[in-house]
Amino acid sequence: MFEPFNKINRKTFLILVGSQALVTLLLWQLTGGGLIPRPSTVMAALGRLLTTRLLLDNLLTSLLLTGQALFYSVLITLLFGYASVIPFFKPAALFLVKCRYLTLTGLIFIFTLLTRDGGQLKLSLLLFGIVPFLITSFLSIILHTPNQEFELCQTLGYNRWECLYEAIIVGKADQVFEVVRQNFAIAWMMITMVEGLNMSEGGVGALMIKYNKYNDLPHVLALQAVILGLGLGFDYLLGVLRHWLFPYTKH
Amino acid sequence: MTTYSKKEVLLRVEDVSLSYDRACILRDIRFCIRDIVRPGLQQGQVVSLVGRSGIGKTQLFRLLSGLRRPDTGSIAIRERLPVEKGDGSIELYQERMVQPGDMGVIFQNYYLFGWRTVRQSLLLAARRNKDLAGREEDAIRQYTQRFDIEDVLHRYPAQLSGGQQQRVSIIQQLLKGSDFLLLDEPFSGLDVCMLDKVVELLLQVSLSDELKTLIIVSHDIVTAVAISDTVFILGRQAGLAGSTIVREIDLMERGLAWQKGVREEKVFAETVREIKKWL
Repeated sequence: MFEPFNKINRKTFLILVGSQALVTLLLWQLTGGGLIPRPSTVMAALGRLLTTRLLLDNLLTSLLLTGQALFYSVLITLLFGYASVIPFFKPAALFLVKCRYLTLTGLIFIFTLLTRDGGQLKLSLLLFGIVPFLITSFLSIILHTPNQEFELCQTLGYNRWECLYEAIIVGKADQVFEVVRQNFAIAWMMITMVEGLNMSEGGVGALMIKYNKYNDLPHVLALQAVILGLGLGFDYLLGVLRHWLFPYTKH
Repeated sequence: MTTYSKKEVLLRVEDVSLSYDRACILRDIRFCIRDIVRPGLQQGQVVSLVGRSGIGKTQLFRLLSGLRRPDTGSIAIRERLPVEKGDGSIELYQERMVQPGDMGVIFQNYYLFGWRTVRQSLLLAARRNKDLAGREEDAIRQYTQRFDIEDVLHRYPAQLSGGQQQRVSIIQQLLKGSDFLLLDEPFSGLDVCMLDKVVELLLQVSLSDELKTLIIVSHDIVTAVAISDTVFILGRQAGLAGSTIVREIDLMERGLAWQKGVREEKVFAETVREIKKWL
């Protein structure tokens, strides 16, 4: 268990995770206090949140926005990713990749001018944040496509468009799904940030900012726990869905 | 001695050279493969290109498959294609430069699309073959039965053994319908039992059509001689950069082609020794 590269079975691993989490919570409970709430206080706040419609309504708002953002992000990523193999479109795809170095601060006003309402503003900001990361991962997949895949296509008599369809569009579909799964965290992390920019429509981000304003840390941490739990849940679901849609990824 | 005759040129390689990073890899490669006719028999051709490791066999393999263009020279194949002439006669064959897709290519690691089941992979290839239009499924069934892999049709490549992958790879290229089958090191990494099976399989393929031509690129001289009718030796010449064909050995002339127990023959051992000297 303490040797490098040693393999442990799933059950042992789960016991390790559970016990380490328990120890951390215990230490937190025993050493916490003052301004930082103890786990028991956070749990109590979470219990209160769960008994009202407030959390559910705001969660649904956030989930809807995340879903929309992911849908459009994937669409844009696929469009630019597939087009990047055509030399004419490559500069545009590479520019999007470099956009990940840009920060939203300073650009928000421009986005406000370009959009009609708060909903559109949030969506466009999310897209701006997610797309560069998605496209970076996707272009890396395309770039690392084994040459043999293209050569097999060629030996089967495929033209270049057919090679693109078989080796990239069909052949990399499972990896697109994995990229989305890995980058879902970015969308989920950003949602709380952009919701703070337009609080009228609600959302967990808006709710958290509200609690934060009054230094209600138990509720802030309870919301963080909900966000983390949901993120892990989605990560697992997307993993299961990937194996179901692309059975060959199981082997 | 078996009666045979050499007819039309099926593949012509003329003055092919290739350099990589200004270093000459292949130089003045020149050889041709002719249709071998045996009376009363449907007999394809099995040609081996042998050479030491690092001599440029894989580069020649890529040139022959059309996946790479030579710096100079040409590689032409005889294509089965009706061409109407002005005088009303019909010529059934024409010679043209090799293109990617002209040859069935079996890579050393029997590469298959990881996201396609065996059936899907075979269907993709069968659909490229106009002669099989409407009969793709039947053709797949026949080949998979013949090669004993009908029970793995719904598996993915990752679920297949090395031998099964090799058979799927061969069937895929056969279904595509090319007269030429180019194999890169098909004997490498096989155990003795599997090696015999592969040799048997390739001989079976060579007998499937008069124009079926197997070009085996290998460094396994013994197996290559045992299975082929002609051997081309790729080697270097003193004082000259790059590899070239240093010798062509007609195994039919020596009575070594199409014989089951050929390895026991004295002349077989002599031929293997001769090839080793040229390497």
